[in-house]
Amino acid sequence: MSPVWQRWLPLALIACFALGLRVWDLDRRPMHADEANQAVKAGQLLAGQGYTFDPADHHGPTLYYAVLPVAWLRGEHTLAQLSETTVRLVPAIAGTVAVLLLYFLALPLGHRPALLAAAFFTLSPPAVYYSRYFIQESLLLAFALGALFSGMQWWRSGRLGWALAAGVCAGLMQATKASAPLFVLAALAGLAVARPLPPAPAQIRRHLIFSLLMAVFVAGLFYSSFGTHFAGLGAAWDTYTTFGTRLAAGLTGHEKPWWYYFSLFGWRQEGGVITHQLGISLLALSGLVVALFSTKRTLLRGAAGFTVVLVLILSFASYKTPWHVIHLGPGLAILAAGALGAVPERWTQAGNLMAFVVLFTLSSQVKLTSFQRPADERNPYAYVHTSPDILKIRPLADASDGPVRVISEEVWPLPWYWRGLNNVGYWNTVPDDCDGTLVIASAGLAGQVEAKLKGRYTSSFVGLRPGFTLVVFKRQP
Amino acid sequence: MKLRSLLTFTLTLTLGLCAVSAQEQVALQLDLPKPLFVGTPRPIKMANLEVFSHKRPDFMVPAGTVLLSAGKEVTSSDEFPVIGELGFVTDGDKTGMDGSFLEIGPGTQWVQIDLGASSPLAAIVVWHFHSQARVYHDFIVQVSDDKTFKTGVTTLYNTDDDNSSALGAGKDVNYIESNMGRIVDAKGTKARYVRLYSNGNTSNELNHYCEVEVFGTPAK
Repeated sequence: MSPVWQRWLPLALIACFALGLRVWDLDRRPMHADEANQAVKAGQLLAGQGYTFDPADHHGPTLYYAVLPVAWLRGEHTLAQLSETTVRLVPAIAGTVAVLLLYFLALPLGHRPALLAAAFFTLSPPAVYYSRYFIQESLLLAFALGALFSGMQWWRSGRLGWALAAGVCAGLMQATKASAPLFVLAALAGLAVARPLPPAPAQIRRHLIFSLLMAVFVAGLFYSSFGTHFAGLGAAWDTYTTFGTRLAAGLTGHEKPWWYYFSLFGWRQEGGVITHQLGISLLALSGLVVALFSTKRTLLRGAAGFTVVLVLILSFASYKTPWHVIHLGPGLAILAAGALGAVPERWTQAGNLMAFVVLFTLSSQVKLTSFQRPADERNPYAYVHTSPDILKIRPLADASDGPVRVISEEVWPLPWYWRGLNNVGYWNTVPDDCDGTLVIASAGLAGQVEAKLKGRYTSSFVGLRPGFTLVVFKRQP
Repeated sequence: MKLRSLLTFTLTLTLGLCAVSAQEQVALQLDLPKPLFVGTPRPIKMANLEVFSHKRPDFMVPAGTVLLSAGKEVTSSDEFPVIGELGFVTDGDKTGMDGSFLEIGPGTQWVQIDLGASSPLAAIVVWHFHSQARVYHDFIVQVSDDKTFKTGVTTLYNTDDDNSSALGAGKDVNYIESNMGRIVDAKGTKARYVRLYSNGNTSNELNHYCEVEVFGTPAK
């Protein structure tokens, strides 16, 4: 076999496997409320209703715009036509690109460790889970890895093109999520710890200015809805003030203890379901030790600095959601691969066995969290997830030929499942007239709703989320 | 005079029988597990859903009624439970804590208890899962002397209003799970086997049992 095949075939296989894991049976898990909300926004953009950035409760615009080409390729042009598979293909593709970028980023460790790092990340349970989830995280991760890789290439080659590429990626990061500056901080920390040789470019300041301008231009393009809504630029800044106020008041609703992320990479047992990432975590810790005591392994030190600082930032902030752990995956994969790369030659077999054991345990955890129990509340990645019961909702509305009312304090993801229906209305409080051919009420409001119903109804029950039950009233002839 | 004496005798006999009969009825004593809920489920007052209450009226059973199911053999439509063991259903541990409940696969599934002998049954009490407010769909309780439930089947409880589990439509009320469990009136039906069906719940597609207790008069 030629060296080219030896080099690229394994990477191609890993990429194909990564893509397969991320796209297989994409529509099986019910839509989370956040996914549904964002999918409706994407659908409105697709249908030509435009997009304006909302700093109060939404992240950046790239996710919605990224849906467009995928939807067009799949022949979908309206919100009603848009499918779960289409919107989730966006994070799935981004998650696969992230695997490839990680390989190229880890290449200074050598071809085999870089392949191992890519394989570890391919099978990272949170990376697989959130690459099948229509939120911004895998997109943000792919752009962050793109920025790091481009920056690394610029540092070595001194070519302006790489500086501009890094700027484009940084701009896309900012246009994806307002948390992008945290990654810049972590990258600077990684650089400080890595202590690489001085950069190659002669005109460092000029390149950096061009890169920064490119980042601002790209981010501005998206936040201004491609020049059609310049108020979006100001709104992008408002994100920080709005979030800062809520964070200071402790009103984010996602406050958790400092050790929360550590628990996700350790061992958890909840309701008889065991989730863990012990293998990769222990191997990454070994890589951290190697990085600390090795003066030669610049990349390993950089990955250690980046990951440790990111863990500290995420753990220090009281606002914590599980999808942030996807960003720790690449660093851990590089450190784990670096640890195996440092195994002396005479222990190669032991190193191979260790890699196999870690890959096996990761794959079993991916099977459990992404395929067997993707919406189970005991799955640490299924955060306040919609109950599978909700899949019974669409047929109910399809069978209804009159007005459908939803009277509930919380309604998402119902508007997604009932997209394209014109006979549905939503109320947060109980209206005077509650009647309809189908009336869905939250458990808390169901008593008041029933008291106002005229005519004969049967009632049944559907779970919106664990612990949040909806009462379904069907009018009888 | 004769007629009056006859009437007096009849009345006395009837009252006496009633008194004896009343004496034979006693309140079913249940050992309830500690509540795992934080707070109380939201009260829902529906035609098909029972109002949640921490108190319920005494359930009367004939004197001499005992727990027949303790430690009895349990079988299931899911031979390889996802979590726990089939024996958990009759092991007496109804705490609902991790390691004390049985979880079986998605869709319509059943567990079956073999009481060892056909006995008049008074009550069947089930605790599906009581650490969260949830409703189990298509909860059906059947009893029979036929192990395969092909003949002589009596349905004691059925909430499957649309017959989605294909065992016949039922009109019994749904209810929110709690530590109080659900008492199903067995009405003195004589049977050896008790089978309980469910079809997922409002939180997930799986089926759970912390404990099932079958009360009745031991077979002579």
